[in-house]
Amino acid sequence: MPADGSAPLARPPGHARQATAPPVPGSTGDLGLLEYVTAHAVDDDYAGTDRPDRSAQTRTATLVVIALFVVLLITAATQTSRNAVSDSAERADLGRQVSARRNDLAGKQSRIKALSRQISGLNASLSGNAKLSGGTRARLSLLGIAAGTTAVRGPGVVVTVDNAVNGSGRQVVLDTDLQQLVNGLWRAGAEAIGINGERITSLTAIRQAGEAITVNYADLSRPYVVSAIGNPATLAARFAATPNGQTWLDLHQQLGLRFDVTVAARVELPGAQANLRVAQVMKGNNR
Amino acid sequence: MIAILGMVLGVVAGLIFQPNVPLWLEPYLPIAVVAAMDAVFGALRAFFDGIFSDKVFVISFVSNVVIAGLIVFIGDKLGVGAQLSTGVIVVLGIRIFTNVAAIRRHLFHA
Repeated sequence: MPADGSAPLARPPGHARQATAPPVPGSTGDLGLLEYVTAHAVDDDYAGTDRPDRSAQTRTATLVVIALFVVLLITAATQTSRNAVSDSAERADLGRQVSARRNDLAGKQSRIKALSRQISGLNASLSGNAKLSGGTRARLSLLGIAAGTTAVRGPGVVVTVDNAVNGSGRQVVLDTDLQQLVNGLWRAGAEAIGINGERITSLTAIRQAGEAITVNYADLSRPYVVSAIGNPATLAARFAATPNGQTWLDLHQQLGLRFDVTVAARVELPGAQANLRVAQVMKGNNR
Repeated sequence: MIAILGMVLGVVAGLIFQPNVPLWLEPYLPIAVVAAMDAVFGALRAFFDGIFSDKVFVISFVSNVVIAGLIVFIGDKLGVGAQLSTGVIVVLGIRIFTNVAAIRRHLFHA
């Protein structure tokens, strides 16, 4: 124990025992690290000062340093306790958040359960109605085609009619002529008819309005292209055999009106609006 | 005498100024306190050994605190701050224990 600085004083027994500890080779001098640390627990400089410096200046410095030490100590302690308080507050807040979220989750899960119950119930009723709904849909589209509210396509004939070239007076197409034409086509087996893109529905009127002919309240411009969907092999011939077809042949031959009938492999007709405000379904009517 | 006076002064100063530690300094405060404790107990033992020197005490106190803080700072920068803090605490703790044991022997002769 060379540098302890307390050599001149009477050694307590414990100290003597430390000094006789066997030296560990290979580390600080002939002392082990732990022995070294315990042997130099007091700064060596204290031993170097033969006569303690006790001037007023250094005493003030000691005073200030001790005051600083206490301030440091108190600050560290208060800081730690303050942090502990804020930590516990944070932890409590987190706990509150966790429980709130847990409640939220439970509510959502019960809502999921209720909704899935509802879904399975609706699925059951849907599969129960599946046959009925399929039949209803087919019937609905059939009715839409027949009424003219559904767009349709298919083979048929296209009849193009127009006023006579350089004609005047009676040599024009009238609304009654178009009516004759459409009625003849219906009679010949047409399933859907349109004039210049206007679908003939169950509510359609073909009428003269001043100079123009209107269909579905829309003015038509010449030439009048009447498209009909039906059996392309028989539609034209059967139309020619009807009285209306005869009338049109006469119009063509005697007045010079244009009258071209062509078979078309593909005829497309749009659907028309059918607004019913007054008519209501009669109860107990199955058809 | 002067030590007790300094302590009273420190408590009063702490109560008056209520020092708030800036955030960047907060990790170094505990280790600085331990280093300061080491210097104080070393000084106390030197006092009982009859070799106390004000100058040595002041210098050892300041250098202890600064070096301990610096070691932790460098350790933080290197990513081994916690390990270095542990090493510093172990060494200082052994020194404090040794010095307090010597003080106890001086006071109680046991």
